[in-house]
Amino acid sequence: MSKEEIPQVTRRTTRFSSSHTPNADESDTKSINLPPLTLRDLAFREEEPLTFDGLVSSLPGRRNEILEVLRLLGPVNSPVSPLFVYGGESTGKTSTILQVFRHLNRPFVYSSCRTCYNARQLFENILNQLLLHRKSEINGYSSAKKCEKPADFVNLLKESLVGVVDGLKGSKKLEGRVNGSMVYLIFDSLELVRDWDKCSTILPLLFKLHDILKFPDVGLIFISSSSLDTYHSDTGFVDPIPVYFPDYTEEGLRQIFMRNQSNSKLQSAFLDLVLKSFCRVTRRLDELSTALTPLYKKYCEPLDDLDVIPNEEIKRKLFSCIQPHIGPALNEIFRVTTQQSVEDEITYNAKRKKSMMKFGNDFSDDIGFHMSTSAKYLLISAFLASRNPATLDASFFDSTGGSSNQRKKRKGSEKSRDLKEASEQELFMKGPGTFPLERLLAIFQCIASSEEYELEKDEEDPQETTGLGGDFGENNLMSDILLQVSSLCNANFITKGGTCPLEGSTRYRSTVSEDLALKVARSLKFPLSKYLYRR
Amino acid sequence: MVQRTVEEALVLLRKRLCDPDFIFSAFSDSPDSNYSKLKFIVSSSVTEACNNSLLLLGPRGCGKIAVLDLVLEDLLKEYPDMITVIKLNGLLHCDDNCALKEIARQLCMEHELMFSKMASSDDNSQFMIAMLRECGLAHKTVVFILDEFDLFAQGKQRLLYSLLDAMQSVSSQAVVIGVSCRLVYRRFNEITDKLTDSDSTFSNFVRFLFSAVSCIDSRSGYMTIENFKSALLTIQRQPKLDCLKDCSILELYIMVCMKRLEVKEQASYNFNSVMKEYKNIHDSFQTSDNYSRNVCLRAFEHLLDRQLIEFADRGHNQFIEFRSVKLLISPAELHQGLKSNRSCPVSYPSETNGIMKVNSAAKG
Repeated sequence: MSKEEIPQVTRRTTRFSSSHTPNADESDTKSINLPPLTLRDLAFREEEPLTFDGLVSSLPGRRNEILEVLRLLGPVNSPVSPLFVYGGESTGKTSTILQVFRHLNRPFVYSSCRTCYNARQLFENILNQLLLHRKSEINGYSSAKKCEKPADFVNLLKESLVGVVDGLKGSKKLEGRVNGSMVYLIFDSLELVRDWDKCSTILPLLFKLHDILKFPDVGLIFISSSSLDTYHSDTGFVDPIPVYFPDYTEEGLRQIFMRNQSNSKLQSAFLDLVLKSFCRVTRRLDELSTALTPLYKKYCEPLDDLDVIPNEEIKRKLFSCIQPHIGPALNEIFRVTTQQSVEDEITYNAKRKKSMMKFGNDFSDDIGFHMSTSAKYLLISAFLASRNPATLDASFFDSTGGSSNQRKKRKGSEKSRDLKEASEQELFMKGPGTFPLERLLAIFQCIASSEEYELEKDEEDPQETTGLGGDFGENNLMSDILLQVSSLCNANFITKGGTCPLEGSTRYRSTVSEDLALKVARSLKFPLSKYLYRR
Repeated sequence: MVQRTVEEALVLLRKRLCDPDFIFSAFSDSPDSNYSKLKFIVSSSVTEACNNSLLLLGPRGCGKIAVLDLVLEDLLKEYPDMITVIKLNGLLHCDDNCALKEIARQLCMEHELMFSKMASSDDNSQFMIAMLRECGLAHKTVVFILDEFDLFAQGKQRLLYSLLDAMQSVSSQAVVIGVSCRLVYRRFNEITDKLTDSDSTFSNFVRFLFSAVSCIDSRSGYMTIENFKSALLTIQRQPKLDCLKDCSILELYIMVCMKRLEVKEQASYNFNSVMKEYKNIHDSFQTSDNYSRNVCLRAFEHLLDRQLIEFADRGHNQFIEFRSVKLLISPAELHQGLKSNRSCPVSYPSETNGIMKVNSAAKG
């Protein structure tokens, strides 16, 4: 399925990839001998600029936005107020702006606040581009100017802008290759600046840059995924002109998915089936395309000839084939899954005669990854330590291995039910609790040993083995528990919480859901529910 | 042919609108305008060789700097070689060392001296004082413009103290002009004058005009009322409503759930409670939009991205599901959003309205 591709690649490769990402595979880097950058490199290096029709057809569903941007940018060499382009994720903001510049063939400087992750990177990146500087081995991959402070940046920027604009105005050679003598600075992903260290000075600076520079031959374009009202600022600034990119409509999405399709009739029939229901969940293009691509493959599977023009009968046949897959795919929509697991689920669901739109269709015992037995026990212990209150550990893990909780279940007075509700609410709000490492190890010893006990009846009373490093040492389950704990931490099954202010030791927290814990327990044949404190 | 002339006219209009000096030059004629007052004060200190300090106050975008620039431009023409202008901006130079360096740099530029980047802050400060003395002896005025003055008036204010100290000495001849959009706690009684401009939205108005001019059809070349209307639409956007219009059905459901929780006066709620509410709605209204928890979680994250909802706590190492959240839109906005949502089925608004009514009835 053709995802709307960001067409900046052509230019980025000529100007960036070659300079910013030194190719590690290249054995002799000296052989790379790129020609020095010229003013022409500030625009797209293309012989034929994109026509207006090409521009509109390359970005389906964005016609109004293209027209608005073109209108605001105005004719060649006309000054422009700063523009603020905003709209949700994957609505084509960046690609529209870049394609518009490809169409206009005017010089611009593009820098994204995502790749330039702090103020210094951003400043130096802009200056490098304006000074036509390329990082290479000769200059030790350094920037043209060292620039950290906003004050230096403004001075250097002014200087280099004057240089570039004079160059553009003076040079006769550029005639017809680059339009106009204005330079546009494009700041992408501006919303990320809000999380930078010195955002309280950088953001007002960027928004006021036009006033501070007082340079009519520069245009500023900010691209952001959140609207202006989310940029709180102490000092305030005059708002730039907003340009809003709404999410794609269903029709727009259809046009995008129909692009570059070998068999448009088939694709259209497929979209008729699925697009509407998927749009109810999300209209984000990136997510839809990851969800629809495998589904389309599935749809085409029964066909021998992919070029067939589908008639009603074929459509009906294909529909009956695809129909059981749509429901699960809707609920799978955002998870990256292997094809296998989806299929397993489908067959499983078919067996259980489940209706398609049911919650929690993951009952299969397959946990989807491999884990050592001791790691599984650790995982379960961590889960228990997070869910159960610490005070009840003793009653759960006595010598009989958790039979005592039968006693508790008998109580059912009005008061305890209230308590139960309150604590349920608490679990809802607070999430899993934290626990110290010692408690995790103790629980681990208990459940691992009781398991041993059940497997080998002839073993001695497990309670004697609860001490750390006792005769458990010979047990291969204990091989290197601390190492296992740290690898579980790395895999994000257990997270390290803050340190306890009183004890000073690190506290941990289990992140696994109950479903996953139950699955793991089932794979070990461990009676998890017996140990779980039900409130 | 017509198109070309239209284009030329457009470029001219845009040039003028983007040039604050042009816009404010219209005000320079009237005798009691800020322009005249300002010009009088600054020129008196030039002619009478005295020190002066001013603070220009006014809301953002009312043209303080533009008027000041006009005044200085005129004065530079009137008294050539007698005025040196040093411009500082609080956003760029609120750090004292940085400010002194910038002053030294501009002084060097102005007097065609060599500027050393390596000079220490102490050197720069001494250089500035020496220059002030020299300028005073030569009857030259140095005008310091401190834009975003409130940022200079924070912290130790070393720059301000050293500037005003230098001005205390007899030989100097300097004007310090602070420009700010916020009232500053004034410790310096030298800074006395206050000019306020009432037209707060001037820059916004210029922006609106620019937007309207950019709407002109280049074939006809006339400005129509439609141009202004569409410009007004682009300027007066309501971002939250735009966002709501774009939300998918599932995202709307989640917001309605949160709304219901708020109606129930639940003190704080998180994703888990929202999911419980979502199930409740599904159980009682038999909707067809029943999705799994993971899908809902992603929709929830979308809402966070769109800043329609936000976390109410600061817990950083907690999981999203357990962090308490709040709606960032009012019930009226949500209602309007539901009504205007493109993909919203017709029955949906009334239905959710019903849900809300049921709820408030139960509460009452």
